[in-house]
Amino acid sequence: MRSRLCLLSFLFALAPAVASAQEATFSGKVTAEGGNALANVSVFSPELGVGSFTRDDGTYSFTIPGARVSGQMITVSARRVGYRAQSVRIALKAGATTQNFQLSANPLQLGEVVVTGAGTSTTVERLGNVRNVVATDLIQKANEPNLVQALAGKAPNVQISQSSGDPGSNSRIQIRGLRTLNGNTEPLFVVDGVPVSNYTFSTTNFNPVDAGATAGVGGQDNGGAFEGTSAPNRMIDMNSDDIENVEILKGAAAAAIYGARAANGVILITTKKGRAGSTKYQLRSSYSNDQISRKYPLQRSFSLGNNNLSALPCEDIGKSTCTRSWGPKIPAGTPTFDHASEAFDDGSVFDNTLSISGGNERTTFFLSGSAMKNQGIFVGPHNFFNRSTVRLNATHQLTSALQVGGNISYADTRGDFTQRGNNVNGLLLGLLRSPPEWDNFPYLDPNSGLHRSYRLQNPTAASAGQSRGFNNPIFSLYEELNNQQAARTFGNVTAEYHVLPWLKFNYALGADYTSDERLEGCPQECSDVAAGGRITEGNIVNYQIDNSLSGTANRTFSDNFGANLTAGLNMNSRNYRTFSDIGRGLIVPQPFSILNTLTRDPPSDYQTQVHNTAGYGQLQLDFFSQLFLTGALRRDCSTTFGKSNRCAVFPKGAAAWTFTNAYRPPGITFGKLRASYGEAGNEPQPYLTSVTFSGTNLVGGISQGTGFTPTQSGRGGLFFTFTKPAETLKPERTKEFEGGFDVGFLGDKADLSATWYASRTSDVILVTPIPPSSGYSSEAKNAGKLRNSGTELQLNLRPITNTGYSWDMSFQWATNKSRVDTLEGAQFLFTPGGFTGNVFMIGRPLGVIRGEGWVRCGISANDAVEGIDLSTVCAGKPKGALYIDDGNHNCGEPGMPCEDTENRILGDPNPKWTGNFHSSFRIGKLELSGLVDVKHGGVNWNGTKGALWSYGTHKDTENRAICTGATNAKCSGNEHAFGDADWYPGAVAGPGAGLKIPIGQNWYRNSTVACPFTGIDEPCIEDAGYVKLRELSIAYSFTQDFVQRSLGMSSIDFRVSGRNLKTWTNYTGLDPETTTAGAYDKVGGSDYFNLPLTRSVVFTVTLNR
Amino acid sequence: MRYTRSLIAGAAVITGLSGCGKFLDATKAVADPNAPTVASINQLFIGIQANIFGQQEGPAAMLICTWVQQCGGTAGRFVEQQGAYILTNDDFDTTFGSIYTAGGLLSIKDAEARADAVGDKKYKGIIEVLEAMDMLFAADNWGAVPYREATTSTQPAFDPQLQIYDDLLKLLDQAIADIGAGGTGPGDFDLIYQGNSTKWIQAAHTLKARIYLHLAEARGASQYTSARTEAGLGISTPANDFKAAHSAATSERNMWYQFQQTSFGQDLVAGAKLVTIMQAQNDPRLPEYFKKNAAGTFGGYDVATKGTVNGDPSTILGAGRNTATFAQPIITNDENLLIIAETAFRAGDIAGAATALNTVRARYGKAAIAAPTLTDIMTEKYIALFQNIESWNDIKRTCIPALKPALGRTVVPGRIPYGETELQTNTNALTDPPTLITGRNANDPTACPSA
Repeated sequence: MRSRLCLLSFLFALAPAVASAQEATFSGKVTAEGGNALANVSVFSPELGVGSFTRDDGTYSFTIPGARVSGQMITVSARRVGYRAQSVRIALKAGATTQNFQLSANPLQLGEVVVTGAGTSTTVERLGNVRNVVATDLIQKANEPNLVQALAGKAPNVQISQSSGDPGSNSRIQIRGLRTLNGNTEPLFVVDGVPVSNYTFSTTNFNPVDAGATAGVGGQDNGGAFEGTSAPNRMIDMNSDDIENVEILKGAAAAAIYGARAANGVILITTKKGRAGSTKYQLRSSYSNDQISRKYPLQRSFSLGNNNLSALPCEDIGKSTCTRSWGPKIPAGTPTFDHASEAFDDGSVFDNTLSISGGNERTTFFLSGSAMKNQGIFVGPHNFFNRSTVRLNATHQLTSALQVGGNISYADTRGDFTQRGNNVNGLLLGLLRSPPEWDNFPYLDPNSGLHRSYRLQNPTAASAGQSRGFNNPIFSLYEELNNQQAARTFGNVTAEYHVLPWLKFNYALGADYTSDERLEGCPQECSDVAAGGRITEGNIVNYQIDNSLSGTANRTFSDNFGANLTAGLNMNSRNYRTFSDIGRGLIVPQPFSILNTLTRDPPSDYQTQVHNTAGYGQLQLDFFSQLFLTGALRRDCSTTFGKSNRCAVFPKGAAAWTFTNAYRPPGITFGKLRASYGEAGNEPQPYLTSVTFSGTNLVGGISQGTGFTPTQSGRGGLFFTFTKPAETLKPERTKEFEGGFDVGFLGDKADLSATWYASRTSDVILVTPIPPSSGYSSEAKNAGKLRNSGTELQLNLRPITNTGYSWDMSFQWATNKSRVDTLEGAQFLFTPGGFTGNVFMIGRPLGVIRGEGWVRCGISANDAVEGIDLSTVCAGKPKGALYIDDGNHNCGEPGMPCEDTENRILGDPNPKWTGNFHSSFRIGKLELSGLVDVKHGGVNWNGTKGALWSYGTHKDTENRAICTGATNAKCSGNEHAFGDADWYPGAVAGPGAGLKIPIGQNWYRNSTVACPFTGIDEPCIEDAGYVKLRELSIAYSFTQDFVQRSLGMSSIDFRVSGRNLKTWTNYTGLDPETTTAGAYDKVGGSDYFNLPLTRSVVFTVTLNR
Repeated sequence: MRYTRSLIAGAAVITGLSGCGKFLDATKAVADPNAPTVASINQLFIGIQANIFGQQEGPAAMLICTWVQQCGGTAGRFVEQQGAYILTNDDFDTTFGSIYTAGGLLSIKDAEARADAVGDKKYKGIIEVLEAMDMLFAADNWGAVPYREATTSTQPAFDPQLQIYDDLLKLLDQAIADIGAGGTGPGDFDLIYQGNSTKWIQAAHTLKARIYLHLAEARGASQYTSARTEAGLGISTPANDFKAAHSAATSERNMWYQFQQTSFGQDLVAGAKLVTIMQAQNDPRLPEYFKKNAAGTFGGYDVATKGTVNGDPSTILGAGRNTATFAQPIITNDENLLIIAETAFRAGDIAGAATALNTVRARYGKAAIAAPTLTDIMTEKYIALFQNIESWNDIKRTCIPALKPALGRTVVPGRIPYGETELQTNTNALTDPPTLITGRNANDPTACPSA
């Protein structure tokens, strides 16, 4: 209550003053070169904070109340994106003044206002950091339902990865590499100055027990990262059509003004506002046809069985020969089934947005409503994601000095998802393992009506309630329910108060509230841990209140010196709570309700609250209109910091020098050197600093499923938790230096921006073991150090800029190199959310894959093979030559490589570089544009392939030796020798080198190559680089007279675009852009029955009036 | 005018902010709302008892049961591995940690301070007895461990084992005095004795007798005299036995029973040594301890030969003990009588030894022995202390019954390896002796010869 009062007290500070008569009116017309009227030009006086926008005919007018008119000199500026701003100095006098402007094109965006966060803004030339802005048209062209995904390929070193093509699935965003080991990796999202949540929560996390995680940590983001459904990241609640632009603040140097939450960068989103003038209507409708982007390669020749013997009958999931397709060759004429395709059909997205905007000189509004219906590419009724949104942005000039505004948006999303990943109740695991001669249709047995799967082919009443081993994938699609229903409202009220011509205050009170309900029902005939049926339900309530006040003083003391000072205060409260229940054993098949279950796990209730306060100031100095210096400080205090370190200070300094104002080299139209340094933080997880007692942790247990709670004999007991409260915990701190230049050349036909940065992150929080004899066994400490550095280039070319036709291109290229420097004692730590052996290892890039490889010359230890001195065998062989055994050294069959039992680094999932190429070509009203996205280097662990090798369903296993037993001697046909140009090409060494052996079940199933199981990871490590045709579109705009006369529209735009039409890659899985744990995954690069991505063709019609 | 307005605005802002001081102290933001941040002495005391029950019935007890060959470990998984002395420090992280963390010394010290704060001497004395049990568990099994600096230092020093025993004797004297001084005590929160001072004082004396016995090999015969004196004041009747309390709730069930409910539990079977001895004596406790095998006999697993005696090994699902609520005996009148028997025997008082021994034997319908030997007494104790970790201390000291180590090994282990985390993180940690299984503690310098 007290904090609510203190939020309100900010408002009362801004009580309005009353205006009087003798007003001044400005009006005029703004045109472009050539005389065309320019609409949407902002004409305003920065001193008075008064102005308006031009109407469609280019005219504008605004009025200044008499109380503020005293004959003083004021500046009136006209600005519009894409044009050079123009300013005039005029004496302000009562009565009417006419002022016209003619604006010239501005490809370098000089003079444009750049929002830099926390109430600060500047202009392009003053900016000491590289600028990355994504404008509304680029977001709309992407046609992505998820705003985060729409940012893919839009800025160098802004890496977006989509977890699946399931409607509503999450996309992960990472800017300039990882700046933490266990903390939050996502940038801070800020909409119209107010931070909003982008959380991702998989419903499976409500059930850590079945996912193999520790019990009693319900609601935390660690349980079911590798299975369950792909959950939405909550920025999906924003309608992309409401967005004016997105500024991406990369790294600590740019984002320091956001202090302890900004180490991963900040995404500043500005929504569309109304303009004075006639009311405008826009109806934007699109239809998208989505298809699976690639089909999995499967064999269609060999049947279910083992050692070339048929497994049938398969009526008991305990029968191990009924799991894999190592049976006899399927006789000609026997039907086989296309498992790679049968679970997929065309998906679609219908998306309609209607917006109405307008207003007069005092009041403006922007009102929009949208409805999106996204049907997924999987068969069955259970995969969709529907979203409805409404938004109202309005401002009113209460007095000449005081403007108030409100911005409110509501989103309702409803989705039903598909189970995925390492999950016998998931789609792909059962689908891709299905033997070719087995028909997954119908998924219910015609006689008994029960769930039939290839391991339990003819279920009867007797086998009801038994696990199916793996679900029939079609059963999963039709019978499982994985529901999400969220209602979210966010917005703010603002006040802007011009106390003096050079001094203004801004106030914003923002709120973001989500209620997110989940219900998962696995029917009675589900498999494994869900056998008998299982209900997982829960509710996530997430809300944030943000309260900020800033003051800006702006003075120009002479032509050679000006200063701008912003100071601000911020209070932020974040609350998060989950309630959940698990019920097991459905009494009757329906409904999927917790009340219809036999037993229930203990209910879970988990909540966090974080309070922050901050004070900050930024001073910007202009010298000779060419050298611009910025210094800023932010002091953040947070309840997540340790008691003795409750506040932390984050400084920033930046310089920009427009050297072309002093000296202009030939051919250069504009040149700026820039350098900046900043520090930003990453908050600790809540409550690492709190003393707590546990009533549920177990002691004294000897194995899983045993142990005593501190409560005994019905008497409530407690003991201290195992983790020591971290009283001195500080935020993680990233210090970043960034330098670079921006130049325009070839007239205004080209510009190049180059940036180099280096960051060091220290105080990285690790929960480290401490001596149990101290009373606790672990403690969170600021113990790790890591670094990132990289280069970013952006080249824009405009070879043709005629009025009638134009052509422009942009190239972006970026690298990021990371390294772990220190880990409190440990040599490496496993990465959170990594399915395979991703580790943080000292001296290595973050997230390298550590696992088992084959014995190789110069890499493995000399005694890696029993009884062999590797250095002797390898003499004269190149480093990395594959050791091939003769079967006499306890490491396997003759002619095969050996397992190196010592784990080693097998690959780096981080790309060597990323880049993209965007081009658009316009003739009159026809526009053709495209975007190609490139990721070069970086590996994935393709566990799906390893599993399907072992199951004998992978296409690779179609050419196989016929085996009647486990050893080479029992196999015949398909003979290969390892190395050289044959099987696993490359140099080989060792006593078995050159030996030709049959390759069949003996290799794929019985040796140790099948990486997801107990096998060797190395053969599953694959290059995951790609070139993607991300977008291709053709658009035509009708503005002819008939459109206006007959249809009453000002314009009609048609666009046909393709999304992810083509991917060029060496990766053999469904898509190189994949990750098992989705947004939970810190580094990506693991593929284990992940859901496929989609490619789409989208038709869009936009009606403007 | 405008300046006035900005002044008012400024003042309002400052006033507004001054009301925000509590914002950073909001209860839910600084204190974890998901777990209690305060605990009363009664709740801590229940947690401490749960921890003691876990030590006495948990992994250490099952491991020791296989090492003293009352039990056998089969089936190739961790029970068999550990039973055949295949050990790593990792295996003992949790058990070693239980001495100090959670309901261990950290909670014990905190609860004692709370008892002090309210001047409840009796409550403090009872907790001191449990502190002695906790640290005795540590010193007996690991030897030198942190005690004096434990839970107060971030890098506690390791104290010599004999010093810890001396400290614990003093602690128990203090406990006896404190309990005698009176106070409210724990009442029904005491799951063991329901706050009965007499029973606690008797248990403290039997514990002291145990400690003197543990010191005898290192310090000589005088320790037996002290042990006899303490046992004279020790647990006087089976009604005063110190037993673990259990209920049928999942995490409150007897740990031996809990383990039998898991697939690993079936790896733990009857040991050949105990089965053979009990069959030879026709001991009526056989069906209480074990369940007959399929052939209808009591068989046992012999780790020394990796074979079995008398058919397939019996499970430890004996009718008497294999229930969820079985109150596991930890310190008993049987043990106290057999301490008297042994110490009397060692003092040359054979009649006194016979009286004590035969009291126990009569309880189980076994014939009296007029002039018992040390083997008679220690064998009786070996039977009586089935599943009790004190058995191992007796065997280390007396080598009765004589054991043959696991196949391929020369000695039965004399101590448990330290937990890996302690070794890795405490710069003051002592290291284990060169081989994990041949190391010995200071109170037990000599290993028993193989039978």
